[in-house]
Amino acid sequence: MTAAGTLSVRVREITELAPTLKRFSFEPAHGGEFPTAPAGGHVMLTLRDGGRVMKNAYSLVSAPAQRTRYEIIVRKVAQSRGGSAFLHAKVATGDVLDMAMPSCLFSLASTAKKHLLIGGGIGITPMLSFLGELKARGGRCEMHQLSSVDEAPVFDRLLAPFGDDAEIHIHTGGRAAFDLAGLLARQPLGTHVYVCGPHALMDAVTSTALALGWPAGKVHKESFGGATGGLPFKAVLKRSGLEVEVKENETLLDAIEAAGVAASCLCRGGACGQCATAVEEGEVDHRDDFLSAEEKAAGKLIMLCVSRARGPRLVLDL
Amino acid sequence: MSDQGIKSKPTYSKIAGDKAARYQLLLVEGAGIPSEAMAEGGDPSAFETWTVAHASALPAAPMMDEAPGAVRPFRSTQHLLSALEERLDRETMGLRLYAIGTEPFLWDAFNIASAAGLSRQEMQFAHAGPKARRIYCVHCRTMMEGVTTSIVTCKGCGAALFVRDHFSKRLAAYMGVQVDAEAPGEVPQAEELYK
Repeated sequence: MTAAGTLSVRVREITELAPTLKRFSFEPAHGGEFPTAPAGGHVMLTLRDGGRVMKNAYSLVSAPAQRTRYEIIVRKVAQSRGGSAFLHAKVATGDVLDMAMPSCLFSLASTAKKHLLIGGGIGITPMLSFLGELKARGGRCEMHQLSSVDEAPVFDRLLAPFGDDAEIHIHTGGRAAFDLAGLLARQPLGTHVYVCGPHALMDAVTSTALALGWPAGKVHKESFGGATGGLPFKAVLKRSGLEVEVKENETLLDAIEAAGVAASCLCRGGACGQCATAVEEGEVDHRDDFLSAEEKAAGKLIMLCVSRARGPRLVLDL
Repeated sequence: MSDQGIKSKPTYSKIAGDKAARYQLLLVEGAGIPSEAMAEGGDPSAFETWTVAHASALPAAPMMDEAPGAVRPFRSTQHLLSALEERLDRETMGLRLYAIGTEPFLWDAFNIASAAGLSRQEMQFAHAGPKARRIYCVHCRTMMEGVTTSIVTCKGCGAALFVRDHFSKRLAAYMGVQVDAEAPGEVPQAEELYK
């Protein structure tokens, strides 16, 4: 799951897919080939904008067997923490960036008889990697992509290379018109479902599947994004002897890194558990998918990447 | 001797059912449900139940409904298992499969269900009936049914086999290993352990 080390990558090509969507293609800055990426894997880019350092995780969309290039698709969002806006506005062909080795928290189940993929908007990205892998493997697959009317042609083009091997549907009628329960109810035994997209979609897939008797082990969701903002608070880093102000639109992890403290992290999306840090004082607003309900209630640990303080102050063993 | 400390020896529980299930199918290797195989509060009337009559004379109009509460008798274990394969092939997600019977029966059902895509999380097994073992000779690959003793002579190669607790889910059998491989002829007295 974890991979140490950093890759130096050069931007080889930038393609504008839609007004807010760009595909970045990277090649190894020093020649050679990249390590084989896991299907559904992601990479973390270090972005330096003047004095500001941002670390953002992106799903790889290139097929795992593709080792000469890694590709990501980035959406520019209005409430961006800055990384995606920076990639859209300031990164150009030929630029060299630091990228953490790919890691994977969202993998295909090797024993599945059938793979059911559900993407919502930019949540298509890990699905593209899955489709590439399943095409190579010959796995049975059905893909449903939810999209706005405007972007449907973009997703249609991205999915076109897989149309011969997978059953692909693009839904533009919104969530209400998407018959999720009907889709989940008719799946044959041994199906695994994978969902990536807005939290509401991922929650709907999970709760609908469980209500239809799917075992939890066959429901997989990618846990990137989600609400990162909240009220500002102060984090006291006891071991470092620092006090960090966390602004309303920045994450605790970003604030800690900006203060010069290197916290251990991997997914930056509340999924992997790498950034778990002991809480000595203060109440936590848990927003991760890693800690169990009991652990969250105990309040002894916090995931720096997504969770925040519920009050004005947190004291951390960091 | 009775506990060899081998982790692959399966453990079983009682059938409790699963409230989250969309549909529940119970297989019984016998004519009726042994009450000791059901967990407290477990209600078999919520399951479609398949039984083995071990008889060619089945009820004239067997209940063939695929519905909770239906009980469908089969002539033999083999008859039931082959129907299971056909049934699972057209089932959809949300099914839970339960089985009550001897170990070879439970694990034969497990293998059919696994091939159909069910995970262990979607199955419950209760052990009932004789504890006789199916033994696989690791030397010549012969299967022997109904072994009740600690040492058994292989029907395929004649080796004196020690009946280990080492269990293969894939083969639905315990392993038999030549007991006198290092000191030929030194075969311990067989004990009747698995009845």
